[in-house]
Amino acid sequence: MRKILIILISLPIFIASSCDKDPEMEVVGDVEIIFRANYDGELFLTQKDYEYIPDMSIKFSTFDLYVSNISLLKEESSTDESELVEIDFVDLSFDINQQSRAEEGDTVFTKKVPAGSYKGFKIGFGVPADLNRTSPNDYGSGDVLATSSHYWAPLDSYIFSKIEGFVDKDNDGIYETSEGEGFTFHLGRDEVYTERIIFPSDPIVVEDGQKLEIYIDIDVKKLFNMPIDQFDTNDDNLLDIEVYDGAHGNQEEELIIAKQLMRNYSEATLLEQ
Amino acid sequence: MRRLYLFFFAFGLILSACGDDEGVTPDDDGMPGDLSDIPYDPVAYNLVVPEGYPQMEIPSDNPLTVDGVELGRHLFYDPILSADSTMSCASCHAPSGSFTDQLAVSVGIDGIAGRRSSMSLLNIGYVYEGLFWDGRSSTLEEQALLPVEDPIEMHNQWPNVVDKFKEHENYPTMFRKAFGIESRSEITKELAAKAIAQFERTLVSSGQSKYEQVRNVPGIFFTPEEQEGFELFIFEENEHPGCTHCHKTFNQMFTDHRFLNNGIEDLGGCDVEHLNNFPDIGLGEVTGNIFDYGKFRVPTLLNIAHTGPYMHDGRFETLEEVLDHYSSGGFCAPNLDPNIQPFPMSIEERDAIITFLHTLTDTVFMNNPAHQNPFE
Ligand code: HEC
Ligand code: HEC
Repeated sequence: MRKILIILISLPIFIASSCDKDPEMEVVGDVEIIFRANYDGELFLTQKDYEYIPDMSIKFSTFDLYVSNISLLKEESSTDESELVEIDFVDLSFDINQQSRAEEGDTVFTKKVPAGSYKGFKIGFGVPADLNRTSPNDYGSGDVLATSSHYWAPLDSYIFSKIEGFVDKDNDGIYETSEGEGFTFHLGRDEVYTERIIFPSDPIVVEDGQKLEIYIDIDVKKLFNMPIDQFDTNDDNLLDIEVYDGAHGNQEEELIIAKQLMRNYSEATLLEQ
Repeated sequence: MRRLYLFFFAFGLILSACGDDEGVTPDDDGMPGDLSDIPYDPVAYNLVVPEGYPQMEIPSDNPLTVDGVELGRHLFYDPILSADSTMSCASCHAPSGSFTDQLAVSVGIDGIAGRRSSMSLLNIGYVYEGLFWDGRSSTLEEQALLPVEDPIEMHNQWPNVVDKFKEHENYPTMFRKAFGIESRSEITKELAAKAIAQFERTLVSSGQSKYEQVRNVPGIFFTPEEQEGFELFIFEENEHPGCTHCHKTFNQMFTDHRFLNNGIEDLGGCDVEHLNNFPDIGLGEVTGNIFDYGKFRVPTLLNIAHTGPYMHDGRFETLEEVLDHYSSGGFCAPNLDPNIQPFPMSIEERDAIITFLHTLTDTVFMNNPAHQNPFE
């Protein structure tokens, strides 16, 4: 999660500035947001075989994403938002030896919000345009936006999400990059940023001084849903990953795929309280 | 907010200035206060970084000072750190090799070859993700303590070294000027490590390589061959080199400092159990996770023409061999990075990429008088 190194380093400044802030008498509660991943309902782990389509298995090595602008909405149509998270990085690349950590998920750093009942939960997948104008140089090490591995200098954009691994195209039980079986989806650029508002059947109730846990479950298989025929020739509504095995932000075709994969975050996401 | 520009200098100076008045105990190595007549006026070292480089993060308890850096430079080049006074840090990290020894694997004072290749210290102050090929050391201050007692490096004991500092004709004064100690008995290995770390943080690119000039100076261009090589280098679509997946051009440092398996090791099979066949398990030694076996830090490619042989064990003599490896797609392994993809490459294309890599040579850095041996 967000490392707090910087906060520690600047502790004296922090203490000094906290002296002149009187705690307001506002009634606030804590919300903890926990991200978990599954593959078609099964716990998602890297280094594990899953079925992509019959006779073709898939194995992941990386699954991570930036989430942003997470806020609670008072009313369905209102602009009265309480921000929980401006931006954070969620890394769900737990491997088969880290099952319990995968079950626990990755908790993001949240702010306190006024107690009350909320109807909507807004979440952005990716780095929103204003922050995407910055670059890792603008941040201290340890900040989620400081990682150069998730930045494309030539495109002036963060990589919002990385989904990497292998598919066993020839179904011989071995995953080999030397046979072109690797896939690397690096999704980024302003055009692919996706926002969603979830209206859960029960309102989200934040109580004074209490901690509410909200789980966000992402079905990684659904991220490959593909309504565009060109990229789904066998009509199973899944990307033909054996042909389209990557996206890196700068080719027309790859950008269309990237957009779809990022958009899929909306329907791949389920909120649980 | 999220824009945290941190400037530690002033703050750190203040801190270190107040921490000096601990009581001095009498010691055989010198009278209490035997250095207190020597003036202590720390002057902040002005670290100049090239355009586009971020502000370096400097620990608040070890701000760069002119005298601290100078002491660090002396210690870095002084063989008194090794048991038989034959070897200094610079023996394995020489400026002419961009602070490597240009050997496949380093050899210590007893003539025993280590298992790994020396690493370039260029821009080392920017490595926050873990030092060494396997990331086992987290700060330069912590790292600088290790080579002295490493049996296959300097094979010495710190108490011996510290005694030599205390008896030395210049070092007590230099420690006083760098850290404000009152007497020679206060010289410690930790202060020595701090000084070395300060010097290392000054080892920053000059911004004068051909590559930097093409970026920053109007009217300077790549040759057509360099340009072709550059385009191949950054071409990330599958079945293309895609070097920038890992050797990021961002920050001009050509690394993202992650730990990865780039497929150089033939494990004799592709299954999880074959991961045990790595002769050196790299990051796995630090984390204990089998899927980290054989992962090593992505190194910088700046000055790459001067830092061979290549890889953590120096297995490749030439850049031609390095490129042939990448073009083959590497050896399979469950934790092979999927960005290692085979790609077709003609001899001309290979030459072009290598020609481009030569534009990353920073001669001005390697020849910078401020980085050279002060004893010569
Ligand atoms: C015998 C040769 C040798 C000597 C002497 C030596 N080093 Fe090294 N150094 C190496 C090797 C080899 C590595 C890589 C080791 C590894 O990854 O396990 C290394 C790694 C490092 C690194 C980490 C670089 C990085 O990019 O993470 C630093 C910093 C460093 N050395 C500084 C020093 C200092 C300071 C001294 C003197 C106190 C010193 N070295 C003495 C051989 C040597
Ligand atoms: C998946 C990430 C990745 C990609 C892509 C990649 N590298 Fe590397 N590179 C590494 C890692 C990791 C190492 C260190 C491996 C080791 O020492 O075991 C390395 C080492 C090197 C070295 C040796 C550096 C040294 O100091 O010894 C060179 C040269 C190099 N890479 C060039 C390239 C070129 C050229 C390309 C594109 C054809 C490329 N790399 C693509 C990860 C990558």
